[in-house]
Amino acid sequence: MNSKLINELPELVKNQVISEDIASIIQQYYKSKQEHSPNKLFTVFGVLGSLLVGLGIILILAHNWDEFLRVTKTVFAFLPLVIGQLFVGYSIFKNKSSTWKEASGTFLFFAIGSSIALVSQIYNIPGDLSSFILTWIVLCWPLIYLLKSDVLAILHLVFSTYYACAVGYGFDSMESSPWLYLVLLAIALPHYWQALKLRPNANITSLMHWLWPLSLVITLGTFVSQHGDFGYLMYVLLFGLFYNIGKIPYLDHHSLRRNGYLVLGSLGTVILLLLSSFKWLWDFDIDASSIPSQEFYIALILFMASLVVLGYSYSKQWIRGFNLFQYVFILFTILFFIGMTNSIIPTVMSNILVFALGVMTVKIGADKFHFGILNYGLLIITALVVCRFFDTDMSYIIRGLLFVMVGIGFFLTNYVMLKRQKTLIKIKN
Amino acid sequence: MKAIHLFYIFILVILVQLYVPARMIYDQEDILKTGKAFKFKTQPVDPSDPFKGKYIYLNFEASTVPSIDSTWMRQELVYVAISEDDAGFVVAKHVTRMPPEKGDFVKAKVGWYDSQQNILNFSFPFNEFYMNEAKAYDAEVAHRNAQTDSTANDTYALVYVKNGDAVLSNVFINEIPIADYVQEEH
Repeated sequence: MNSKLINELPELVKNQVISEDIASIIQQYYKSKQEHSPNKLFTVFGVLGSLLVGLGIILILAHNWDEFLRVTKTVFAFLPLVIGQLFVGYSIFKNKSSTWKEASGTFLFFAIGSSIALVSQIYNIPGDLSSFILTWIVLCWPLIYLLKSDVLAILHLVFSTYYACAVGYGFDSMESSPWLYLVLLAIALPHYWQALKLRPNANITSLMHWLWPLSLVITLGTFVSQHGDFGYLMYVLLFGLFYNIGKIPYLDHHSLRRNGYLVLGSLGTVILLLLSSFKWLWDFDIDASSIPSQEFYIALILFMASLVVLGYSYSKQWIRGFNLFQYVFILFTILFFIGMTNSIIPTVMSNILVFALGVMTVKIGADKFHFGILNYGLLIITALVVCRFFDTDMSYIIRGLLFVMVGIGFFLTNYVMLKRQKTLIKIKN
Repeated sequence: MKAIHLFYIFILVILVQLYVPARMIYDQEDILKTGKAFKFKTQPVDPSDPFKGKYIYLNFEASTVPSIDSTWMRQELVYVAISEDDAGFVVAKHVTRMPPEKGDFVKAKVGWYDSQQNILNFSFPFNEFYMNEAKAYDAEVAHRNAQTDSTANDTYALVYVKNGDAVLSNVFINEIPIADYVQEEH
């Protein structure tokens, strides 16, 4: 981008768009900027290299070199670990660049994994995968702060998620929830907070805005043990929370690509509401007696958290205009409790809600002149129509007409918006 | 924080990082050196672990005891009192929730309780034997072939036991270590 601009400078000077002085100032500016910023590409390759070497070592050791003596194998278990520690120690002691720190940290992360794995292999220590990963993460987490490493923070998050899945979704663990996962998240939270404050525009921070909510989406199910039906409510509340977080100006000002909270919150809400527009979903096995349960309390916490974010946004006057997505979690909670005794009302209401969300999204898309959002709204409506195609006794004619109408809707809205955009551009010119 | 303080914390972190695998090794070595050796009759099958490599999963013959208590929970920690039969192989005598005061015993986890036949099924924690990736599957085949031979065959795991903790030392087919047995078959 910068080099492209610099290449165009002579042409701009030639055509007298800018003066030669300004051209040299621009050139100077980018030159000094380049000198001050560390080479990002070098960091990426350094980390990628360490990651591959580390994983490679794990695989090579997993081959099980049974011709070696136990002592030799034990030495091999410590070798990568000590090498990694030396590199990391050197980076800290000499206060090397972030490239050094990220790359050596990544290598040490995998060296620790390979070391415990090899010891387990030599002595046939049976592995429950979850406890193996837990030991691994716990041994590595201080490095996140010692090296101020984003890559290690991400590895921590990814492996914590892996741990939660191993504990919560495994065959042996139908009734256990990975509570330690929450502790693991908590110890990585200060790093995330720092990234938010110090590097709001960095790509790696945007990646974290995706990985944090994604990790929670993946693991929330592990906290559902006996009352599975509560899972729907828990997930709708989580997505409601994400949507409201995504609407906080700090995140909302960024493009959608950088706002995982908003995208996941919106998609998740729509998918769950589409599911609950089917009547079979509301055949619950739970009743009032299931209320004092782990699932209920988690749902309660999520509800309160969403409400706090929403209330705070109100008090700060961040919310302008009505956006149904931000309130869906409240409506769904009411529907959910009605659904314990009655399945018709929530089914009908869910259909209306999805439709309203679709229309609302089309409106937001039109207001913002955003074709992506506009068509997303139309897609929501289409998905609803497709769902009803399968489970209602409507006549084929009505169903056919519905499809034709939605199809025409797609053409018309896009056409109208394209036209409006063209007129606007004309007026501006 | 000053670089030197960071460095002190770092030294502490690497000591812990070194201590954990070293402690694992020490505990295992201790049992191997001072524990008592037992032979558990077994059947190997071959699965793999993403980090630790290929292993053979050992299905032990001594994996059930009669029990009239039906309140066992899945995955509950239990103590299995063991003794040896005339041929020198382990037999499970009974299962308790607390470590027995005398006699040899091993820790195990409850699998399931068969309430019709009043039998408790449990699994020992030393049921994975790590092998060279090229030999693990062959080991399973070698064991199966040995079983179908007309001569009497014994596949057993040699396990060292100390205060209920156990370390799996090796697996043998007819007194030959399984890795060597596989190599000879080739």
